[in-house]
Amino acid sequence: MTDLIVTVNLAAVYGLIAVGISLTWAGLGFLNLASGVTFAASLYGAWWAQENISDHPAVIFLGGIVVGAVAGAIICVAVFLPLDGKPNWDTRSMVASLGLSLIGIYTFFLVFGPQRKAIDLLFGTTKFKIGGTTITADKSGAIICATIVMALVVIGLVTTKTGLGVRALTQNPEGAALVGIGRKQAAFAILVVSGALAGFSAVLLSQIFYPEPNIGYLPLLKGLIVALLGGLGSILGTVIAAVLVAATEAVTVHYIHQGWVLVTQLALIAIVLLVRPRGVAGILEATRA
Amino acid sequence: MTVILEARKLSAGYGPLRVLHEIDLAVAQGERVGLVGLNGHGKTTLLRSIMGFVDWRRGEIELNGKSILRTPAHRLARAGIVLIPQGDALFPGLSVKDNLDSGAFAGNWRERKKRRERVLQLFPRLADRLGQPAGTLSGGERRMCSLGRGLMTDAHVYLIDEPSLGLAPGIAAGLFSTLRELEIGSGALVLAEQNRTLLEGWIDRIVRIHGGQVVGIEAGSGSTDGGPAAAREQEEGE
Repeated sequence: MTDLIVTVNLAAVYGLIAVGISLTWAGLGFLNLASGVTFAASLYGAWWAQENISDHPAVIFLGGIVVGAVAGAIICVAVFLPLDGKPNWDTRSMVASLGLSLIGIYTFFLVFGPQRKAIDLLFGTTKFKIGGTTITADKSGAIICATIVMALVVIGLVTTKTGLGVRALTQNPEGAALVGIGRKQAAFAILVVSGALAGFSAVLLSQIFYPEPNIGYLPLLKGLIVALLGGLGSILGTVIAAVLVAATEAVTVHYIHQGWVLVTQLALIAIVLLVRPRGVAGILEATRA
Repeated sequence: MTVILEARKLSAGYGPLRVLHEIDLAVAQGERVGLVGLNGHGKTTLLRSIMGFVDWRRGEIELNGKSILRTPAHRLARAGIVLIPQGDALFPGLSVKDNLDSGAFAGNWRERKKRRERVLQLFPRLADRLGQPAGTLSGGERRMCSLGRGLMTDAHVYLIDEPSLGLAPGIAAGLFSTLRELEIGSGALVLAEQNRTLLEGWIDRIVRIHGGQVVGIEAGSGSTDGGPAAAREQEEGE
């Protein structure tokens, strides 16, 4: 039961990070390696809001989300807009986002120093039991919040005009242009929403990942693993992949050792991609195209 | 009658390959123009170069007298040019309904339901497939979906690339009977087609393309006047 709770908790948060990476990669052909630094920036944003504005959880969440969204906008302006459409766009944008990421990390070192910061418990210290298993408010709060936000993202993608534009762009960029969907406007929307999602995830994970300059690498890696496993651009695939990756992590920690988590997760992705190069989405798909 | 779309000395190609050689083509308001020619001689490239989907272009392209050579495709779609391409360019993982609705993206989004109903009257077969992913449609249904998506727009210039390609003759004839009914009003329609018999009786002018050049222009059997050349003479006279 404890493993199940850990799995659902991690799956919910990894899913949020991965949706942003997946949509950016599939819709724009942009492997955003600055997602990790967005995560770190959001943690610092949440911490700064807590220290300077209020320690109310809503303010801490807002601090993380706003900084994440602003980081997404900066990535759009600094990397996407200048390089989009240029020769070797995909490689250049990947390298540029990595460069931006390094600049961000060293800026954090200069401004905040190498020490970890602490963010207060956001959901209180309440505990309750289900079937003999103790669940902390922190975990249940993270699961409920992440599920609600993921549902809102899916509803937004399915019911709004912008959502249709983003989904169309992930399917066929030329077809999207033919119906009047502007790549640059869609890119801004995708990167800002991805940044906000990374910010929200960062705050939810703030009791495991503390604000420090290098903290973004692991979430970036987990997000990439889930996005690749899920099949780029597929929301349902990403959600299922997040559950698979999180379950692998929970089982590995329980039965083997924490140090083997990345090994088992990378083994999982290797096996799935060998069988289905489109990942989970490839298994779900029944299209002729 | 005024010229709505004009290409002057248009050359275009892919990488080092030059496909179009200084093509001149003017399309007047209310005119239906057929581009005919063998495969690989530039019909598709001409339509794609108007939208900017080629590696390079030289010359001039104007819409309503204004240059659109540097205008990106999504802005052209918003300005009222719709290309219904070969291969359909549908969104395979999205439902037929979403594919159709995406056509209203550049136009009046609030009217999409009304427009979708109109498209479904033209292509009733799609009504049974609305919830189905477009990637699972048959070839004919895909073409209907692609045409339907084009008709969902606020377009006044329709560029349609070989709608009969790869379809059974009966299905192609059905599609063309729908195209014949298409109201273009003060807009225009340019249709690339290999099967010339499908253009008979409703196309105003036929432009023959060979080796990336215009090699002949003739009045179609739907012609009521002399086309843009006559229109231009008339304007100059006024």
